[in-house]
Amino acid sequence: MTLKLSQCLLKSFSAQRTRRSWHNQVLFCSLAMLLLSLLSGCDNAPNDSKDMGQIMGNSAQGYAKVVPNKPITFPQDHLAHNDFKQEWWYLTANLTTASGEAVGIQWTQFRIALSPPDSEPTMLIEQSQSSPASSKNKFPALHSQWQTRQVYMAHAALTSKTQHFNAEKWSRGNKHLAAVSSNPFTIFTQNWRWQSDNNDMFPAQLRVEQPEFGFQLQLDSQQPFQRQGDNGYSIKSADSAVASYYYSQPYINVSGTINRHGKSEIVTGKAWLDREWSSQFLTKAQQGWDWFSLRLNAQQTLMIFRLRGNNDAGHFYSARLMNADGHGSNINSKDQPNDIRMTPTQWQQTQTGRHPIAWHIQVTSANIDITTSALNSNSDMPLSVSYWEGPIQFSGSHQGEGYMELTGYQ
Amino acid sequence: MTWQHTYLTAKVFLRHYRHSPVQASAILVGIALAVTLLIGVKATNENAINSYSQATELLSQRASAHVSSNQSDTINQQVYFALSQAGIPSLGVLEGVAEGPSGHSIAISGNDLFAAMSLALTHSPPPDKKNPQSKLMPFSSDIPLQKLINGYPAILMSRSLADKLSPSGKVQLNGYQLEVIRVDDSAGLGNDIVADLSLLQPLLKQQGQLSYVALFPQYADQTKSQLIKAAKHALTAAGIAVSTLNFEADDNGASLGALTDSFHLNLKAMGMLAFLVGLFIAYNGVRYSLMKRHSLCIQLMQQGVGANHLMAALLLELIVLVIIGTIIGFIVGLQLSQWLQPMVSMTLEQLYGARLIPGNWQWQWFMQALALTLGAALFACLPMLLGLKRTPLAQGAYQRPRTQYYRKLHAKMLLTGFITLVISCTLMQFTEQYQYSLLLLGAVTIAIPLMLPQLLTWLIQLIEQSNPQGLLQYALAETRQIIAPLSLAMMAMLLAICANVSMNTLVGSFEITLKQWLESRLHAELYIKPSPQQIPQVQAYLQQDKNVTALYKQWRSDAVLTQRLVANTSINSDNSAHPQATFNQTQLHVPIALVSRDASSIEQTSSLKVHSIDFWQGFSQGSQVMISEPLAIKQQLNIGDKISVDRLNKPLTIGAVYYDYGNPTGEVLIGQRLWQASTLPATPISFAVNYQGELSQLQLQLKQHAGLNSSTMYSQKRIKQEAITIFTRTFSITLVLNSLTLIVAAIGLFSASTMLTQSRLAPFARLFAMGVSRGQLQFMALGQMLIMVLLTCLVAMPMGALLGYLVISKVTLQAFGWSIAMVWDWYSYAQVVLTAVLSCMLAVILPLYWQTRKPLISSLQQESQ
Repeated sequence: MTLKLSQCLLKSFSAQRTRRSWHNQVLFCSLAMLLLSLLSGCDNAPNDSKDMGQIMGNSAQGYAKVVPNKPITFPQDHLAHNDFKQEWWYLTANLTTASGEAVGIQWTQFRIALSPPDSEPTMLIEQSQSSPASSKNKFPALHSQWQTRQVYMAHAALTSKTQHFNAEKWSRGNKHLAAVSSNPFTIFTQNWRWQSDNNDMFPAQLRVEQPEFGFQLQLDSQQPFQRQGDNGYSIKSADSAVASYYYSQPYINVSGTINRHGKSEIVTGKAWLDREWSSQFLTKAQQGWDWFSLRLNAQQTLMIFRLRGNNDAGHFYSARLMNADGHGSNINSKDQPNDIRMTPTQWQQTQTGRHPIAWHIQVTSANIDITTSALNSNSDMPLSVSYWEGPIQFSGSHQGEGYMELTGYQ
Repeated sequence: MTWQHTYLTAKVFLRHYRHSPVQASAILVGIALAVTLLIGVKATNENAINSYSQATELLSQRASAHVSSNQSDTINQQVYFALSQAGIPSLGVLEGVAEGPSGHSIAISGNDLFAAMSLALTHSPPPDKKNPQSKLMPFSSDIPLQKLINGYPAILMSRSLADKLSPSGKVQLNGYQLEVIRVDDSAGLGNDIVADLSLLQPLLKQQGQLSYVALFPQYADQTKSQLIKAAKHALTAAGIAVSTLNFEADDNGASLGALTDSFHLNLKAMGMLAFLVGLFIAYNGVRYSLMKRHSLCIQLMQQGVGANHLMAALLLELIVLVIIGTIIGFIVGLQLSQWLQPMVSMTLEQLYGARLIPGNWQWQWFMQALALTLGAALFACLPMLLGLKRTPLAQGAYQRPRTQYYRKLHAKMLLTGFITLVISCTLMQFTEQYQYSLLLLGAVTIAIPLMLPQLLTWLIQLIEQSNPQGLLQYALAETRQIIAPLSLAMMAMLLAICANVSMNTLVGSFEITLKQWLESRLHAELYIKPSPQQIPQVQAYLQQDKNVTALYKQWRSDAVLTQRLVANTSINSDNSAHPQATFNQTQLHVPIALVSRDASSIEQTSSLKVHSIDFWQGFSQGSQVMISEPLAIKQQLNIGDKISVDRLNKPLTIGAVYYDYGNPTGEVLIGQRLWQASTLPATPISFAVNYQGELSQLQLQLKQHAGLNSSTMYSQKRIKQEAITIFTRTFSITLVLNSLTLIVAAIGLFSASTMLTQSRLAPFARLFAMGVSRGQLQFMALGQMLIMVLLTCLVAMPMGALLGYLVISKVTLQAFGWSIAMVWDWYSYAQVVLTAVLSCMLAVILPLYWQTRKPLISSLQQESQ
């Protein structure tokens, strides 16, 4: 579907397309692109068609910028940052059923701003020319609670060794249809809902219901949140050209039930939450990313990712080793070149592309040297935006479970 | 070896046509015209019918069910929110009317555009969809969603509608200047105007309100009733009273199909009529070309070509001509339907609220047209070919005079036609279903032209009785002779004129009936239909305004007719309330409207067709009700019968039937007392007032005090105007098809007279040689044709009137349920006759001009051919 869609888009923009292929878009970049072209493609009048690259370049324009040294505070920053172009609430979990079966769960709610906050006031209602200028009171500006600049997209997946369910929901921002709100803290798109007991994120209930699958999980965490990068300011390229605000909660206890084809099972395990918002996520040269969340042991977790440039030298690596007490240490290829090494060891052609499903990961300074393997090689998310996301196991210097996300492969 | 003969003969025929292309083109034109109209109408019809079953929510998918209110026109948007929060894929839709720049009403629809489009994207039906493009279409770059969901003052229209309505790219609705965004026609918006709820709710002053919520299946094989059950469950859980809501499963367009059935059948009948006229022309062409080749064929046989091979060659020729003609006709016909469709879609939208989506032509149509044409051509031409085969060789190339043969044939045709006519008209008195009436009408249509040649002969003989002298006598005698070769073209002409006369009678009569009915139906000066929330304010205002001299109210609710109890004995109206009467029960499911008005409105405005003796008394007591004429006719209900309606708990006795024109939904009108005793909504839906003073003053007051916009207020004059416009549109397509048929007939006459003048070159040359001047000759030929056409028109008038009578008192009455008093429309008849005469003149002058310019000797040589 996405392919067809992008082909359709390609057609509509073929005249203006420059520089690089659409197919090499990365997840969030392509998400923004997709929406930009789908939803704001006609921002410009028909005879004022902008160059595609221009739209790309200007995509962050008008939105708030990610700057260093801006403190992340809770619980305010759990809520939506509507001035930024994109944002997500991202939960992955490695669970075990009562019968001992390993399963993985993903739930994500994305927020995308379709137009920047300082764009022209849209409630520009021109009065009819025939009516006198004094008739302003007669024709008040039209206001509606339906007005919004935000749309939400939610993804959910349930993965076992042999099965991989996934689903998607879309909605415009509206406090009754899809929103993130406080008192108590809630994230929802239609019937998928994260419902906290208070204004903090935890404890909370996460409920996803689909005809073929669903889950209802109790989420709890006592540990402090981990601010990624420089106190939450996470750079995405060696020249710091792009960055995001990013924090995580790698220590979440999970209990609840999962549902597959109407069959319920009790599950327990560990979950991991990522919160991230920005207005531009990738540089133009970046092709995609490989992201891992790894539970090294009861006291330590590792977030590690690689943003792929045009060639091996253009890759950007970043990681954070996080302790349960809230402390942690950052490693990245800008400050410590060659400290992180990530090498695909096995490739598999899946539904949406050829993906590296097994890896050799080394972080020399932290004495980490592990190899990973996927629980289910076919954990594609063939949705409006397609990517690979699924549970993994690893062994070597450390042993354990985690999650892997691969974007920008085809 | 033997096929070589066939091949050779075919080659000879090909040469023949190369020599006289007029003959081949006459046949081709006939076939092409027939197929053009057949396909034009078929494509138009099929596309419309397909639209009913494929129509999606605007810019989205087809819904499986709809939730609306059974109390008022709108529902609270909480219903949409509750369904959405329960994970039921749904879409909130608001429909309304806005006031256009010149004060006229413009219908406008809106929905949660983002949900509509994402449903189309993520909720597409199974992959075997015929047209994968339609799935991708919604997120087209034409639509700036990011602006629209933020209340940007813009509306969406299909390109073709925008070109018509707003070439400037702006439109003013309810006083607000809105930008028009053009969407490709393939998006299927038809004539709808679409906006996002963020704009439409405030624009229509319907904050928080929706017209309905469309439901989509949660999973692939969920049935509609399962979906509705899930929706009811979700709403109940959200604390919304399900009893105030209507849950309707999508019927794949069945009810719309049933509603528009008669309309499409009428169109189809018109198409078949045009097809018939075209075939007449083609048949005439085939016959003429065979006649011209008669001696050639005999010669071929004399030289050893077997009769069977000759036949095979002739058949081959016919088949090739039919195929070529069908291809041409098919292509032109599709083009024609492109032109007809906007007209049809306008009618269907206005009358039935159906939205047409662009369709694709299908190969099957071509095959059907080809099979039909080939079948008809073979059926018509085989006797002729066999006749040729039986011709004794010894007869030689000499063409025997066929006067005798034609005399017998015409007499036989008259007899057949007359018997068919009498039988059909007799049977017509007993039909109750319009399908059968239409079938009998078809028989009448065929019977009429059959009688024409003999009638023409008689009429000319009648003129000859006046003993004209000299050239005039010759001219008349010769006219009688050319009846036979021209008869087919004249029959086609007759059919076209008859159809025109009958349709003009229908339309004229309908307009007069409608005007009279509106006159009696509309008794107030101003009619007001506010949105449900505005009702109390409007009512309060009207009650306190001292200048309002009369205030009338109307209540209305959708309902379903569930049972019909037809009185068993043929009872008179006076014992209708007789308790002993026994009834035949039939279970039904017919959507209707339950209506009530205040007592004085009902008495003043109901024009009754029939009623029981004690009707008014029974009506005010609530023991009897009125039903609309279309409902009475379609359900075959009479006074004295009983009906059950889902919203009322006891059966209702029908006491009267009232005229109700242009309303496709059946109505049951009940007294105020009965209405108030039921659980039906207590608030009226519309008001009508009489006002002392300037009406515009009242309208201004209502705008200021109750927040109404002009599109919710109609003066009596405006209603009449709009009603007439809309209703005449119902027939616009029929009139267009009629004119096309007349054009086809004129073209047929043209080709026939071209061929005829060619064959008359020799007699003309002889007359010329005898001293008759060119001018006299031209005048004579023209005069002869004029006599033929005028006499045909003379025959056509009573026949057309007969057809008109049958169409009005049988087909229209049964199909639409509208009684129409027949009125003669002399002006339009004169127009038709004039058109016929003019086209005939043109058809004669041109060939005549060609012919008289030829050298005398070559014309004289024609004799020897």
